[in-house]
Amino acid sequence: MARALAISAIVAVFLAAPFAAPSYYVGLLTKMLIYALFAMSLDLMIGYAGLASLGHAAFFGLGGYTMALLLMRAHASAWIAFPAGLVAATLGGAVFALLALRARGSYFLMITLALAQVVWGIAFGWRTLTGGDDGLPGIKRPVFLISFADQTPFYYLVATLVGLSALAMWAVTRSPYGLALRGIRDSETRMRAMGFNVWRHQFAAMAISAFFAGLAGCLFVYNNRFVSPDALHVVTSAEGLIMVIAGGAGTLFGPALGAGVIIFLEDFISSHTQRWLLVLGVIYVATTLFAPRGIVGLWTDFSTRKRKP
Amino acid sequence: MAISTTLRRTLRAGLAAMVCAGLPLAGAGAQTKTPIKIGFIVPTTGGFAPSGEECVTGAKMYLESIHYEVAGRKIELIVEDSQGKPDVGLTKAQKLVERDGAQMIMGIVSSAVALAINDYARDKKVPFIITCDAGANELTMPGPLANPYLVRTSQNGRTPSAAAADFMVKKGWKNIAVLASDYAGGFDTIGGFADALCRLGGKVTQEQYPPLNTTDFGPYATNLDRKADAVAMFLPGGGGLRFIKQFVELGLKDKLPVMDIYAQSVYEPFLPQLGDSAIGIYSTLHYASPIKSPMNDAFVKAYFARVKHQPSDNAPDGWVGAKAFGDAAAAVGGNVENAPKFIEALKAVKFDSPKGPIALDKYGQVIQSMYVRQTEKAGDGYVNSVVATYPNIDQFWPLTFEQYESYKYRYAELKGSLTDCAKVLEKK
Amino acid sequence: MIWVIHTLNGVSLGMLLFLLAAGLSLIYGLMKILNLTHGSYYLLGAYIGSTVIQTTGSWALALVVAPLIVAALGAVMERFFLRRFHLDELPQTLLTFGFLFIIGDVCLWIWGGDPILLPKPALFAKSIDLGGLSYPEYRLALIAAGLAVAAALWWFQERTRIGAMLRAGVDDAETARAMGIDVSLLFTLVFAVGAFLAALGGVLGGPIIGASPGADFDVMLLAFVVVIVGGLGSLRGALVGGLLIGLLDNFGKIFFPEFALFTIFVPMAVILSFRPTGLFGRA
Repeated sequence: MARALAISAIVAVFLAAPFAAPSYYVGLLTKMLIYALFAMSLDLMIGYAGLASLGHAAFFGLGGYTMALLLMRAHASAWIAFPAGLVAATLGGAVFALLALRARGSYFLMITLALAQVVWGIAFGWRTLTGGDDGLPGIKRPVFLISFADQTPFYYLVATLVGLSALAMWAVTRSPYGLALRGIRDSETRMRAMGFNVWRHQFAAMAISAFFAGLAGCLFVYNNRFVSPDALHVVTSAEGLIMVIAGGAGTLFGPALGAGVIIFLEDFISSHTQRWLLVLGVIYVATTLFAPRGIVGLWTDFSTRKRKP
Repeated sequence: MAISTTLRRTLRAGLAAMVCAGLPLAGAGAQTKTPIKIGFIVPTTGGFAPSGEECVTGAKMYLESIHYEVAGRKIELIVEDSQGKPDVGLTKAQKLVERDGAQMIMGIVSSAVALAINDYARDKKVPFIITCDAGANELTMPGPLANPYLVRTSQNGRTPSAAAADFMVKKGWKNIAVLASDYAGGFDTIGGFADALCRLGGKVTQEQYPPLNTTDFGPYATNLDRKADAVAMFLPGGGGLRFIKQFVELGLKDKLPVMDIYAQSVYEPFLPQLGDSAIGIYSTLHYASPIKSPMNDAFVKAYFARVKHQPSDNAPDGWVGAKAFGDAAAAVGGNVENAPKFIEALKAVKFDSPKGPIALDKYGQVIQSMYVRQTEKAGDGYVNSVVATYPNIDQFWPLTFEQYESYKYRYAELKGSLTDCAKVLEKK
Repeated sequence: MIWVIHTLNGVSLGMLLFLLAAGLSLIYGLMKILNLTHGSYYLLGAYIGSTVIQTTGSWALALVVAPLIVAALGAVMERFFLRRFHLDELPQTLLTFGFLFIIGDVCLWIWGGDPILLPKPALFAKSIDLGGLSYPEYRLALIAAGLAVAAALWWFQERTRIGAMLRAGVDDAETARAMGIDVSLLFTLVFAVGAFLAALGGVLGGPIIGASPGADFDVMLLAFVVVIVGGLGSLRGALVGGLLIGLLDNFGKIFFPEFALFTIFVPMAVILSFRPTGLFGRA
């Protein structure tokens, strides 16, 4: 009951936002939602499949770049370019999985980083196709039956897609497949002994995760109306990782919250002090010390403690 | 050292606060009018932070001289950090325009950030004054990037290269080995150089493109074509500093003269570190701190008093951008909200500056003098003395826009074929 | 003769990479921490070194003072922060990421954003003649320094009591504890040594790589690549990995200049695809 109320309240807030907030904040909220989707997709890998990756920006960028290239170079319609971006990201996830899944732990972290840097290098270096570091400017927001060019309709498009994706990812984690995935995260050998095909489960997890990261990437490109290699850079991957950990890995809601909070803080603090990196660093350290399971972890700790007599 | 820097910064902040506090008195008559807000976007963190800070300092020096007031309206300068990242720069532009109510965007430094903001500024009809660096040639040329609300008072990429080639050929150096950082700005700059060199009968003998974050320049210096007459280079962001050190260590300095296009190695703050290694290096830039004019003498003195080092081009660029804004705002009686009129007034400004005379062409790109400088020892320091001047040259110099347009390949498309003059000069 | 110079360039870069990576590998071997502040230790080492050289004029002093200060910082980080999250990867990542931001911004605050290169020590400032081509003595000295550090680390690990404790701790921290080894002190000590080595790399690499905002991140990535290619926790791996990456990067840039952006990450991806725990790593 309480949960249903909370969810309706959140939905109501997001629906009402464009009427209550000035346009800049609608833009910022759009950005927060897009990063929330990115962080949730990474959480599928880290929090549920136990695969900490430093190459997640590759899927974000593959989606965004594929869509942007089709729009700008092939003059394809958004009906083709947008789904193509999702397909490209998913395929990227599958290829990464083929190459990286033999490695574990820190090695997995680093091989995903290396593969993502290769994708970044291609986007940066293949100027004639991708525009190099200048990127591809001048992308128009889509017309899907109605035009999403203005900030408010675009915001609703993003909010709807992010909401549906969150629901879908939540369903995945609750499905038998999701439970098996968590079993693998906790003990690979046990699950293998029980007859589960570990590799196939993790492969699917990476592909699903890459699909949603690609969706975030496509929305990111539409939101900015350009794409540049920064979208693929290791810094973007690291930001995603931090959002997941700070919010609370393995909770989906936590990373979304973490993304929102970090995007807001970066924006807010950097407008008030030149020393914003220092402040943000201190906040990360403090978060680790006082909420080692992330923001959501802090909340669960608090509520379980309260319930104990 | 640590403490003194902190102290200096604190003092500086304190002084700025005092200046601001004194403003309501100075602008007593302006109280009824709303202030003009300038959104100033530069990198203040990351590798290009020094350029951003210098740019802001230059702009503040001019605004202080007019007491942050023009045509009876107070001026508010709001500085935001782009981190040198396009999407952050765009978010900051949105914040400045939509939340803070800034009437214009200034600053910039990174071309990628400029390109990201360009579309937004055009859609929102917000005047966009590129004040520092961001030299992507096509921003101020007719074409897909053209934006009627854009002017650039810094410098484009190709003109310093054209001057460099002209100077080198006059020196009798026709076979040139080139190095440029592997990114858009690098291709714009070095492509412009090859084009000018080929037209004057010279030839690029070798091209090398080190990535932007190259840590070790040993392989590039070792690999350099030692049979060339001279080296021309464009390695921004500390790359030039590292390259020159390796170049000197390999004993190449006595054999090959160096032309540092855009002065990224003999960048003024680097001169003390380079020491004698820098002596004799040529560079082209739209500024040199030893320019002899009362205005520049005063500027250099005031700048030195503030930050204790010589200005590079970013400080005078910041100053010129702020002055162009100030003059244009005065010309429209403070009504900067009328963007088309304000832009028209901006394109019409003409004034003298520490850099020399300033004017803008019809596309909004500055017309200013280009200086060939050579690094010399002066007292216990080093300076870049002017050895040649190309007065009042525009973005297409020595071509016209039509001539520039008649080439088949854009500079960036020529990467890897600069040694082939026939291709470089091929017509459409 | 030019190929001798290219090879020397690659080897000297490789030795520098070894110096940067050795501490990271040591720390990982014992504590399983992938320390994101490792590049920050490098940066601090280079900056503090430059200040010491500037104020005292002594290079030798910089070589001692800067690493010691950074080692103390490393010890504090381990003792008061990282210790609480032993073997807990995610909080460790967030914590060390926070310190990466903090140290980077404090450096920007204190030393400003202009890139700096450290001067070379007067002893090795000249160039020598190599068959008609001149070559900087400093790079040769760097190779010697790398070999000396490798030898010292080998001696430390194989021949000293602490080294024996370290090996026991790497094999099995619980058993080592049961055997009466003060694991707590060992952790702090090894962390300090790791930070010391990175800062030493900062001073020694200062005249070639230098210090600038963002160098912390770049150096961290390079060090990661080296230890991953060599195998986490293996000093031999760090040495071989350093040399391999140094040479591949150098010759890659000569023979395949158009792929300069890939000279480090493609070899790493290829090596890991065939050997998922690096050249000398244990599963």
